[in-house]
Amino acid sequence: MSAPNQATAISQRSLSWRQFKAILRKDIVMELRTKEMITTMSIYSLLTMVIYQVALSQAGTGFDPRNIAAGLLWLAFVFTSMLGLNRSLVHEKDQGCLEALLLSPIDRPVIFFAKMVGNLIFLLIVQVLTIPVFGFLFLQQGSYAGELWMIPLVLLGGSLGIAGVGTLLATMSVNTKGKDFVLAVLFVPLMYPLLMACVSATTVAVLGGVDSEQQFWSAMGMIAIYDVVMIAAAYALYEFVIGA
Amino acid sequence: MADNTCGSAVDVRGLTRTFGTRKALDDVSFQLEAGSFLSIFGPNGAGKTTLVKVLTTLMTPSKGKASVCGLDVVEDAVKLRERIGLISHNPLLYPDLSAEENLMFFAEMYCISKPTERVRELLTAVELDHRRMDLVRTFSRGMLQRLSIARSLLHRPDVLFLDEPYSGLDPHAVEIFDSLMKQIRQDHTFIMISHDLAKGLELCSHALILSRGKIVLSLPKEQIDENEFAATFRATVGTGVA
Repeated sequence: MSAPNQATAISQRSLSWRQFKAILRKDIVMELRTKEMITTMSIYSLLTMVIYQVALSQAGTGFDPRNIAAGLLWLAFVFTSMLGLNRSLVHEKDQGCLEALLLSPIDRPVIFFAKMVGNLIFLLIVQVLTIPVFGFLFLQQGSYAGELWMIPLVLLGGSLGIAGVGTLLATMSVNTKGKDFVLAVLFVPLMYPLLMACVSATTVAVLGGVDSEQQFWSAMGMIAIYDVVMIAAAYALYEFVIGA
Repeated sequence: MADNTCGSAVDVRGLTRTFGTRKALDDVSFQLEAGSFLSIFGPNGAGKTTLVKVLTTLMTPSKGKASVCGLDVVEDAVKLRERIGLISHNPLLYPDLSAEENLMFFAEMYCISKPTERVRELLTAVELDHRRMDLVRTFSRGMLQRLSIARSLLHRPDVLFLDEPYSGLDPHAVEIFDSLMKQIRQDHTFIMISHDLAKGLELCSHALILSRGKIVLSLPKEQIDENEFAATFRATVGTGVA
């Protein structure tokens, strides 16, 4: 690369970084002010945990809820994230601000990454609030047999995939009439491989056992591959999707 | 304010935009010199907003070419966005941010140097400096439109697109808006969509009527007889059917 081209590339990267920070800061400031996404998602997630507990309360003493706890946890996170993902783009669309954003000289993938990181932060906040309730309701019977350090890793890996794919799909669905329905129909099938890997890794983290570390890293490998492939695909498709 | 360095400000040749089988724009061609004010009239569905969307890079044309300030709307879209501004009937502002936060955000989007100074300068120009810390959701329609002007001028654009900017404004707000428009009139090229024939003709240097995606009349202001123009407007599009 010649010197002027290199300087232009560096300058473009610094401009994109400035725009990325501005969008992320704006989304966080607006969320802190309205608390719409975090409040709705947290209440929904906590209520789901309580409903699971009520549903399983008659399962009898021989039933160990830890065996299905990881699945229940990720189900709650997937449904909760759909609630939040839709709102993150609806804000832009309802006020026509998406148009103003698209009118500015910004590379479209910068919008994708800023929105994705915003969604990731909100999702992680909701998870941090939900996990203690989850532990209280489902991990009391018998001792916690797994490794505690595994939990944050699987939460981060899973949430990254949800935020990446979810941001792309939310952008696609925001222009459609039945956006909630469209998002759900596209989101759940695409989440399936990630959900399987996350449930597997979380089950290992909760139950422990022989070869638990090997099983955990195997599931984490699946999560990492899913995240890389899907985020790269979302990055490549975003310009087309947001301009459609 | 911006200097008009872009000779032919807008050059549209054979522009067509289709949605499925429907042609929203059908072989539209016109040129506009820098510093001109073009008013575009036509009924709902005539293709006015589609035309503005294509010229502002928010939509790609299906056929034909269009350039603004010498920059192609498809190939040079990112560069072009630095040279254009849009004032819409929708203010395109975040209601949960203050006036100053909104402008600072868009200043960052345009990577403006010394953004704080520029934002303060514009808030003063649109007489909203005293409300700069207030959330935009508390603003009246007129104040929103003034702030919208400030937003669109942040990056000193050469060409301003106005999409029914008077829609929903009360008479006092129209007066303030007009006065602001007069202040910036000399420094920009304007393309305005309007349903208000009198207002559109008052401001323009060139007028154009679109119907069913085609230009049915295009005249410089000196050749326009207002009564005749109104009659033509009613005859061609007055049924309200695009």
